[in-house]
Amino acid sequence: MYSILVNPSPTLAKRPSASAASDAMAPLKVPPITPPGGGARTAAVWPDPLALHALWRAHQLSTASHATTASGFAALDAELPGGGWPHRVLTELLLPHPGLGELRLLVPALARIAAGTQPDGGRSVMLFDPPAALCGPALTQLGLDAQQLLVVHGREGVRATAGLRRLLPSADLLWALEQALKSGHVGVALAWLPPRVKADALRRLQLAAQAHDGPAFLFREVDARLKPSAAPLRLLLQSAGVDRLSVRVLKRRGAPLAHPLPIGLPPVLSERLRARARAEPAAGAVQRAEASSIAD
Amino acid sequence: MLWIAVHLPQLSLESLAATLDPAWQGRPLALIDAHRITQADARAAALGVQAGAKRATALALASDLVLGEADAARDAQALQALGHAALAFTPMVCLETTDSSGAPAPVVLLEVQHSLRCFGGLPALLRQLRHALRPLGHRCRIASAPTALGAALLSRWRDDLMHGAHVTDLAALRRLLDDAPVWLLGPGREHWEALQGMGLKQLSDLRHLPRAGLARRFGPALLADLDRARGDAPDPREPIALPPTFEQRIELFTRADNAEQLMAGARVLIARLLAWARARHARVAAFTLRMHHEERRDAVSHSELAIGLAEASADAAHLQALLGERLARTPLVAPALELSLLCDALLQAGLPNGELFATRRNEREGLTRLIERLQARLGADGVQRLTLRADHRPERAMAWQPADTKPAMPDKTQPAGAVSSSHPASLPTRPLWLLNEPQPLPEQAARPCLEGAPLQLLAGPERIESGWWDGALAARDYFIARAHDGALVWIFRGRLPLADVPEGSGWFLQGRFA
Repeated sequence: MYSILVNPSPTLAKRPSASAASDAMAPLKVPPITPPGGGARTAAVWPDPLALHALWRAHQLSTASHATTASGFAALDAELPGGGWPHRVLTELLLPHPGLGELRLLVPALARIAAGTQPDGGRSVMLFDPPAALCGPALTQLGLDAQQLLVVHGREGVRATAGLRRLLPSADLLWALEQALKSGHVGVALAWLPPRVKADALRRLQLAAQAHDGPAFLFREVDARLKPSAAPLRLLLQSAGVDRLSVRVLKRRGAPLAHPLPIGLPPVLSERLRARARAEPAAGAVQRAEASSIAD
Repeated sequence: MLWIAVHLPQLSLESLAATLDPAWQGRPLALIDAHRITQADARAAALGVQAGAKRATALALASDLVLGEADAARDAQALQALGHAALAFTPMVCLETTDSSGAPAPVVLLEVQHSLRCFGGLPALLRQLRHALRPLGHRCRIASAPTALGAALLSRWRDDLMHGAHVTDLAALRRLLDDAPVWLLGPGREHWEALQGMGLKQLSDLRHLPRAGLARRFGPALLADLDRARGDAPDPREPIALPPTFEQRIELFTRADNAEQLMAGARVLIARLLAWARARHARVAAFTLRMHHEERRDAVSHSELAIGLAEASADAAHLQALLGERLARTPLVAPALELSLLCDALLQAGLPNGELFATRRNEREGLTRLIERLQARLGADGVQRLTLRADHRPERAMAWQPADTKPAMPDKTQPAGAVSSSHPASLPTRPLWLLNEPQPLPEQAARPCLEGAPLQLLAGPERIESGWWDGALAARDYFIARAHDGALVWIFRGRLPLADVPEGSGWFLQGRFA
């Protein structure tokens, strides 16, 4: 005859005695209830329900039930539920155009997954229909093992025309992504989806991602932010200067984030050049830069 | 000696059903011989079609009835596949297609006395045998007895004679056989009316009669069968031989025009292929599907589809998936009438241990299978890996090659971060995105423009002049520039005059710092 309350304290817990008469007569001085088999802890015998994940308050970030991979940027990790990119779910990144710096945002997490925790434990990184070719030396510089990289193109992808956009039969791409997520043997998947993907295709990918032990990233166009999506984490990326990215969290498991996060990316330019770029306005004097640096 | 007999009462019907179009799966099926029904399946029997009925009667009872003729060669092939599946349990497997008087009675006989210990007793062995025969899709009646013919008779008689004292004890078998009807024996069925007229219904009746008289009246074959079944006479049998290569042909009931119909027939052949491979204790490494077309003057007689597996497998679903993807991609030259499957590439190795938790080996194998599936649908160029090359020209510093499905073994001589950690400052900065072809940029007031807005040059120039030896000379000055929205791009200016080099001496966009 025990009842366990949400906020138990020794004064409110029921006594183990059964008769009502003795209840009425005896004073309300009950011994604290000790867990069976334990007598070592006498004070604060019940664990904190907040720490048990049994209680969630609306202002908190969700305690992610799946594993996460740290993104490598402390400001971003603090705002992501679970402290990193979540596994077994889709993460959507919305960009105005590819080439903002989104890969440099992901590369620390990708490098960690490709290297793996054990010496032999590197997992594969699969890219689905990237808009341009990846540069090998750049990957090595950023610490990503190029041997773990696999790129999947749709059927007409290889004979594509020049330029950044390619027209591909998207059915093949979605099928390939679903197969890779369902197999569960891929470390991390990055996919560039064609514009205007149907909502049920995204839901299907989200279901398939539950079998995938790692993060899965989808890159989409900015117009998609007005359309609902099944992905539990959606970020809008915009460029905020040289080697800086402004990340706005559109959707996450927890309270919405009102302000955009400025993130400093792994730098391309040296400090001196970056300071100079910040000092000069965008439409600034190119002739001065050319004259000082070009020795022709 | 312990014999197990597997009787297939509907072998002809089932081998006919295997050749049918998948769209006809729900229709009742019957075998016909000279306008009379010889055998009807469960659905047709439920509608009232019986053996001996005329063709018109049967069609009146079931309007969508599918009628086909029994083919001994087709049945023999199906029985052989079952024999191969049984070879996984014992080397002594015999096939019987007819009983001693010539009537069809397909039985697979296994002698399992010496395999009992390996498989953990007779009930476990029977369970595993049923499980192994299930993919072939036949209805089986199994019985066991100390003699071969005795087991065959029991399997044709009833369905519940797998356990009991008669299985190991010859006396118990003899007692059981005494109650068996006379028509089980071949000669008994031939002379059934005469025997019935004499009042001889069971085998015990035959035993009580003088042997010389029976032999004179009905022939010595009747007594010989009876003796062999009861264990009074020896019954030596020849085991079947396992062919070194697999080649089976299946004739489709209707012409196959699309991939689904082909896959239905191919599924049956793949199940038989795997039974043969399992009998050889090996896994399939490659197989070929040959489609035989109609005889036409200008068309080819057959077309082949060769499927090679990166990792030998004995998994029916995986082989079917690979074949299905390739069939969907290959255009069919002409409608196919027959399908045949050939295989002579096997891998004789033990099965990999199935492990409960994901391990490195499991993951590599799983990744290999995934790449195989993707390449089956997207083509070999669909999945590519990166290899680095020593070249200063950025577009040639790396090559994309089709993933050869060998798992990427980590290069232990060169850890991943070796290059960058040894000389971090001396490596030039490269963008993560590289365009396949450099995109020319328009110039506005002597400044390069991207998407209408002028670019601001921030760093540079980096001069790359290389490639005079293979004709693709690249003499360029590379700059890092900032676009109007703040993104960094990698542009270059060609240094050679327009006539010498295709890209000329204008501004070009080569990459983006993604």
